[in-house]
Amino acid sequence: MTSTTAHTHTLDIINLNIALPRGQRLLRNVSLQLEPGEVRALVGESGAGKSMIGKAVLGILPHKIKMTEGEILLEGAHLNAMTPATRRRTVAKMSALIPQDPLTALNPVRKIGPQITDPLIRIHGWSHQRALARARELLDRVHIRAPDRVMHSYPHELSGGMRQRILIAAAFAPSPRLIVADEPTTALDVTVQKQILRLIRELQRETGTAVLFVTHDMGVVAKISQKVTVLFAGRVIEDAATHTVFENPAHPYTQALIAATPTPNVSARPFQPVPSALIAELHRDTVAADALFAQRGRR
Amino acid sequence: MADVTTNSPRLILTDTNFRLWLPLLWIGVIAAAALLAPLIAPHDPLAQDLMLERLPPFFMDGSEPGYWLGTDSLGRDVLSRIIYGARIALFVSLIAATTTGIFGSALGLIAGFYGGWADRVISRLVDIWMAFPPVLFAVLLVAVMGTGLGSVIAAIALIDWTRFARVIRAETMVQARMDYVDSARIGGARRAATLVSEILPNVMPSIIALLMLEMGIAVIVEAILSFVNLSISSDDPTWGSMIAEGRGAIHFAWWVLLFPLIALFMTVLSFSTLGEGLKQRFDPVLK
Repeated sequence: MTSTTAHTHTLDIINLNIALPRGQRLLRNVSLQLEPGEVRALVGESGAGKSMIGKAVLGILPHKIKMTEGEILLEGAHLNAMTPATRRRTVAKMSALIPQDPLTALNPVRKIGPQITDPLIRIHGWSHQRALARARELLDRVHIRAPDRVMHSYPHELSGGMRQRILIAAAFAPSPRLIVADEPTTALDVTVQKQILRLIRELQRETGTAVLFVTHDMGVVAKISQKVTVLFAGRVIEDAATHTVFENPAHPYTQALIAATPTPNVSARPFQPVPSALIAELHRDTVAADALFAQRGRR
Repeated sequence: MADVTTNSPRLILTDTNFRLWLPLLWIGVIAAAALLAPLIAPHDPLAQDLMLERLPPFFMDGSEPGYWLGTDSLGRDVLSRIIYGARIALFVSLIAATTTGIFGSALGLIAGFYGGWADRVISRLVDIWMAFPPVLFAVLLVAVMGTGLGSVIAAIALIDWTRFARVIRAETMVQARMDYVDSARIGGARRAATLVSEILPNVMPSIIALLMLEMGIAVIVEAILSFVNLSISSDDPTWGSMIAEGRGAIHFAWWVLLFPLIALFMTVLSFSTLGEGLKQRFDPVLK
């Protein structure tokens, strides 16, 4: 991996704002960076806007949800300044997604093989042979026993865990600079989760790919990431190294999140939910911030 | 779909046999009849012979050898007319259903995929279109365009495209929201390209099923138009005109009406059953 100059982040999000058509804000001035080869966890409760960040980077924001402000730089290149076609090719060349739900992320009527090799041939310009060989290699790497047979199968013939491993193989196949992992273990069995995490970790180390790991599970954060960004109601409320966040969380919400992580020994430390008073206070802050934002917009 | 009652499932009417092979068999027979009509029809379908009028079919007293299904009130051979009628019925159903299917599916795909303005315009058009009574609409269209095979086909396509547009739009909307479409776009596929490469194959089983249904409907519409003498020229033997002519003689020559009716019924039933069978056969998820 030849690394770029010291100042180029793999991903640099500056002051990102995303809103619904009527102006309800989904992300509020979000900034975050990813260094090459770094794993950054993006945590927050559902609706905090974690997945929206990944979708904004990859250019797959749902219809009607628009970026209203901010900059996204991928390997130093301004994505917003590009034409849609250039942006699409740039994103496809440099990044990949490990999706949340392996059951819908593979096209049910197409065989597995072409679904892995298509982008390699289309975007990276590889020969058919080379793409096939790479797919075989990666499938083998994610412990798929008969890669050739699997590539000739349809998704419904495979288990959920297998499909997720295939998606991981597909994401890492072109050795992208950035992978967005959008809650890749949420839809899976707990027993499979651990295996999937380990695979992502191993492949990430081997390829030196930076990973933006979206999750709501603090246990997963501890296992996989070096940096953490904590999101609440579309705002970044804490951004630090993983060990700092666990040892010495700065924000009360982060403290509460860590305290709420269940432990096996319930009698020693009973489950502590995030206090509702804290959530209410944070929401009041958000509303106040939005009012300020709206005023600024009017002026 | 598994067979529970016997251990030799190949010989009995399993669901697949019933939905796929049985209709295919009948359609094959009709198609062969249509293609080989001049070779297999025992008589000229237009040859009148007033000496031989209203001969009963072969199993009744007074039948004449060679006139298997009897003759009509002008002495024309019913079997030969059914065979020649199959030509028109199949030709109309094939061309009309394909035209309708391509046109309607394209609009449905566009409406379901792009949403917004395109969807609003197409959906309102469908709503307005469906407010017309279809048979009256067909009669009106043919009356305006003039009778003839082309008019019949155009009328069917113009009336029934909404069937495809509606169903395919709904299916496309479901598929367009699936993650694999996003995955393809992250993989560098253009938005419009995902419609063809990712979504179309997923709605294809429905299109095929509807296509078969539409072929059946096309046969019926053609028969209806022939029945009211608005299809092709009344000289040509069509099932609809045979039914219309047989209607007057039903009390003393029921065969003139019944045999083309059976041909029509079996063909329509076969097409709609075949649609289901093909859908099951070609949808890898249902299979």
